[in-house]
Order: sequence, then structure tokens, then C-alpha cells
Amino acid sequence: MRIEPFDLNGPDRRDGAKLVVEQLSKSFGSGASAVQALAPLDLSVRTSDFLCVVGPSGCGKTTLLNIVGGFERPTTGRALIDGRAIMKPGRERGVVFQQGALFNWMSVVENVAFGPRACGVPAEKARHDARGLLELVGLSGFADRYPYELSGGMQQRVGIARALANDPEILLMDEPFAALDQQTRELLQEEIRSIWRRTGKTILWITHSIEEALFLATHIVVMTARPGRVKASFRSHFSESTDPLIAATPEFTAAKREIVGLLRSEAQRAQSLEAAV
Amino acid sequence: MAHSKALEQIGGLDEATLERRADRRDRWLTAVTFLVLFGIWVGLTGSGLWEPFIKPLFLPSPVAVFEAFQRLLADGYQGRSLAHHVGISFYRFATAFSFCILIGVPLGLLLGMSRPIRAVIEPPIQAIRPVPKLALLPLFLIWFGIGNLSKIVVIAAPVFPIIVISAMQAVRSVSQKKIQAAQALGASTLTVFRRVVLPASLPGIFTGIRVALSIGVTMLVGAELTATSEGIAWMALTAAEYLSTDIVLVGVLIMAIMGYTLDRIVRALEAHLVHWSGKD
Ligand SMILES: Nc1ncnc2c1ncn2[C@@H]1O[C@H](COP(=O)(O)OP(=O)(O)OP(=O)(O)O)[C@@H](O)[C@H]1O
Ligand SMILES: [Mg+2]
Repeated sequence: MRIEPFDLNGPDRRDGAKLVVEQLSKSFGSGASAVQALAPLDLSVRTSDFLCVVGPSGCGKTTLLNIVGGFERPTTGRALIDGRAIMKPGRERGVVFQQGALFNWMSVVENVAFGPRACGVPAEKARHDARGLLELVGLSGFADRYPYELSGGMQQRVGIARALANDPEILLMDEPFAALDQQTRELLQEEIRSIWRRTGKTILWITHSIEEALFLATHIVVMTARPGRVKASFRSHFSESTDPLIAATPEFTAAKREIVGLLRSEAQRAQSLEAAV
Repeated sequence: MAHSKALEQIGGLDEATLERRADRRDRWLTAVTFLVLFGIWVGLTGSGLWEPFIKPLFLPSPVAVFEAFQRLLADGYQGRSLAHHVGISFYRFATAFSFCILIGVPLGLLLGMSRPIRAVIEPPIQAIRPVPKLALLPLFLIWFGIGNLSKIVVIAAPVFPIIVISAMQAVRSVSQKKIQAAQALGASTLTVFRRVVLPASLPGIFTGIRVALSIGVTMLVGAELTATSEGIAWMALTAAEYLSTDIVLVGVLIMAIMGYTLDRIVRALEAHLVHWSGKD
């Protein structure tokens, strides 16, 4: 087995963790129509961890990411970056959205230079650095195009380059490749892995794809159906491998089966929950 | 055989060439439409070549209309030159419209950004929106006198709320994701507004301006209905009283051309300024 159960909240993990989520819960609305999206949830993510979160649809993954991003406030509990409570969005947390978050009125290079410029870097330097980043994601030929002239996969690369431009301490990604076709996805997964290896960034990654989680993650969290809490967490070693065909190995399949089993029971619970509503 | 050859030919041409061809064909078809309409006009009125099917009193021939135009150019209308009538109408329209854009767009942006300000200002604007503005003309005459001001106010009355509301809606429908992306990149509120909210709202603002434009030109007629003795709409209205249908048509055509040209100008500006419109 290349994954093993792992307590993300062990005492040795919390001290000095990059991101700590403490007894975090979130409800939308109030009174009888209130929806509890997140049950009290605990997580800790250390520097250079690649944490993938998988869970049934509607279990609160996006809500979790929105709170860590600072776009929403938790109902109870808190999220901390380097020990400081998260109150609002900040440049030390780079966010990559699923799609539709690029600025269509700016060229690709301006999109990537946006963050540094907003943080006071002179425009010329910001553009120059942006071109370097575009090279990193393989888009140097498209710097002066507009985002809407690019394919979906290329747009996601721009999104990644834009988030990297601010040199964030942690990257937050909400199913960034969900709208892409299989081939593009696999290509970008390899790319993100090599970027992660090179930069040592801490990454919080939300996905529906178990293969993606196994392929990328150092740690995997499986969430329960709504209200989301941690059902199981694992340490995963597949991302250390350089074998491009790792997904074809029996260990990979066994690991996948284990997580699928966990998710299936949750999905069934989620469905009966929806039916009850 | 012929079929596959045609296919080959199409395959050999690049997108741009095909697109240009389609463009040219469309323009040609549009020209044909106008030629046919003009032909029907000529046919029905005879144009001096044959007996008109419709009395010149109801529909003068193109020739008669052109002659009336020349007469108006040479002699003016009721003591003032044609250029003066067109100029004064344009002045009334342009003043009203510029005011609406200069004040209405920023106000709409402000309403879109701030909930409390919206709560104060939006309800009165929404309340007066359904009131037929022409019905207020007598009131405007009492309040603003019989000079140009009352005309300008009549034109601005329906244009202003359209521009304010469309700018407000444009701001409110800016994708939350884009704003969040900018915030996560460290942008201040001012930067988010200047570099995200404002450009993202421009397409909606332009749509509002174009709708307002056609309504503004329409209101010109209402504005010159009474209490004036100059202006192109006034010319058409008084000519109708004397049954000078040819002069009426000259006035109508001039207003149509004015409206069409203004719309074209705004469209060109839009295509130039907001190339990202509808690309999400
Ligand atoms: N702004 C909101 N107002 C009310 N309810 C909300 C809001 N945002 C999310 N919810 C509810 O909270 C729950 C969790 O939503 P969330 O988007 O976090 O799920 P998710 O795990 O990201 O789902 P998916 O995998 O489908 O993206 C859902 O039941 C959703 O209906
Ligand atoms: Mg989601």
C-alpha cells in the first residue's frame, strides 16, 4: 500500500503548520431554512504539503476553500495562516478558480502582472517577471493575446501563472482542471507537480478525481457528506514516484479502491439526505 | 466531381477570407433591401414618369422630396436656415445626452457599488421610470420656461434613468469570482474598482447608452412639439399642419439619419473599447 492512514491533527503537526483549520463550521441562512455546509472540521497543513480534499458533491469543499481564501467568514472556529487568523483575502494565499476568473479586458501578460502591480511592483518589472512565469507554464507565445482567445487548458495555465506571480506561501485551488478534457488534464497535472517540486509551495487542492488526488497529493482528506467533516485522512506516496504510468500499478488501483469505497458510502448517505429534504 | 471541387476550394481558403466574403455578401443583401424599398417608393409615386398610385399629399415622390430639400437648403424654413434647425435640435439632444452620460454613468457605478446609497437613490429613480415623460412636458414648461432648458430636460428625463440603471446593473452583475481573484492578488478596493469592476461593467454601460440613444432621438420630437419655433422636429410638425408632406419627409429623413449615425458612432466606439464584450 502506498497510502496509509494518517492523522492530520497530530500534536507534532499543528505547531509551526502553515495552515491550521480549527473546529471550523459554516452555516448558510438562519432559522428553519439554515443549511449547515461544514461541520466542525480540523486540518493542519505544513509547508510544502500538497493536500488534496475529496468528498461528495455539496459537502462543503468550496465553502472550506472560500473561508481559507478569506472570501467568507466561518460560523464557528477559525482558520489560521502561520498562526494568524484569516480575516480577508491576502496576497500570501494565491487562488486558482475552476474557470472564468481571468480578466478578459487585459492581455495574458497583464493578467499575470496584475498581482505584483497591485502590490506596488513597477509595471515594467511586473510585466518582465510575468513573461518569465508564462514561459514556466509554456505560454510564452501567447503573452499578448487576450484570455478569451485561449483554450480552456491554456486559460487555466494563465490562472496558475497569475497566482504564482505574487509568490504566495500557499496555493488554494478549487477543482482547477475539472472543466478540461482528460489529456489536457493529465498534462497539466504533470506540470503542476513539477512546479510544486521546484517551488516547494504549500498547496490546498480540491478535486472530484481520486486519480488526480493520488497522483498529486502528499496528503489526502476524504470528507463526509454535508455537513462536511473529515471522514478519513491519508499520507500518500504516489506523488514521489517519477513513473508516468504509476496509475497502472496494482498499488495505485488498491489505493483508489479504498478511497472509492469511502466515498461511495458517503455519496449514498448524501443522496438519502437530499431525498429527505 | 463538381461538388468535391467546390469543397476543395472552400478548404483552401482561410477563415478570414471566408468571413470577409460573408461580410461582403451581407452588405450587398442589405443594399438590395434598401434599393427595393426605394424602388417601391418610386413606383408608387410615379416620380413624374407615370401617374402616382398614391396622392402626393400622402406620399410625395423621391424627386419631390429632394426638391423640397434643395428649397430648404436655399431658402431655409420660416426665416431660419435648415442648418440652424438641425443645429438647434442637435444642440438640445447632445446637451441632454452628454449630461446624462457624465452624471448618470458615475451615479450608476456608485449605486452598483454601495448598498446604502442604492437604498436611498434607487427607489425614487425606479418610481419615476414608468411615468410617461412626455406627460411632464407642461410641468417642465412651467418650471424651466419655454427656452431650450425645458427641451433638454424632456429629452434627459427618460434617458437619465436608463443610463443610471444600466450602469448599476452592469456593476452588480460583475462576476464575484473576478472580484475575489483580484482581492486574492492583493488589490485594494480602489484597484479592484478601477481595473476590474469598471472594465467588466463597460459592455453593460454601452448597451444602456445605445438603448437610451434611440429613446433620446424619439424624445426630440416630443421636446419640439410646443413652445418653440425652431428645430428639425418642429419643422416637420408645423409642415404637417400645412400639409407640406415633402417637408415633413425631409425632416423625418434627417432625424432618421441623425439617429442612425449616432448609433453607428456608439457601436464603433463600443467595438473599439470593449473588445471583450460577450466573451465570458
Ligand atoms: N452562499 C450560499 N448560500 C446558501 N447555501 C450555500 C451557499 N454556498 C454553499 N451553500 C450550500 O452549502 C453546501 C456546500 O456547498 P459547497 O459549494 O461548499 O459544496 P462543494 O463540496 O464545493 O460541492 P461541489 O463538489 O459540487 O462543488 C451546499 O449544500 C450548498 O447548497
Ligand atoms: Mg465546489
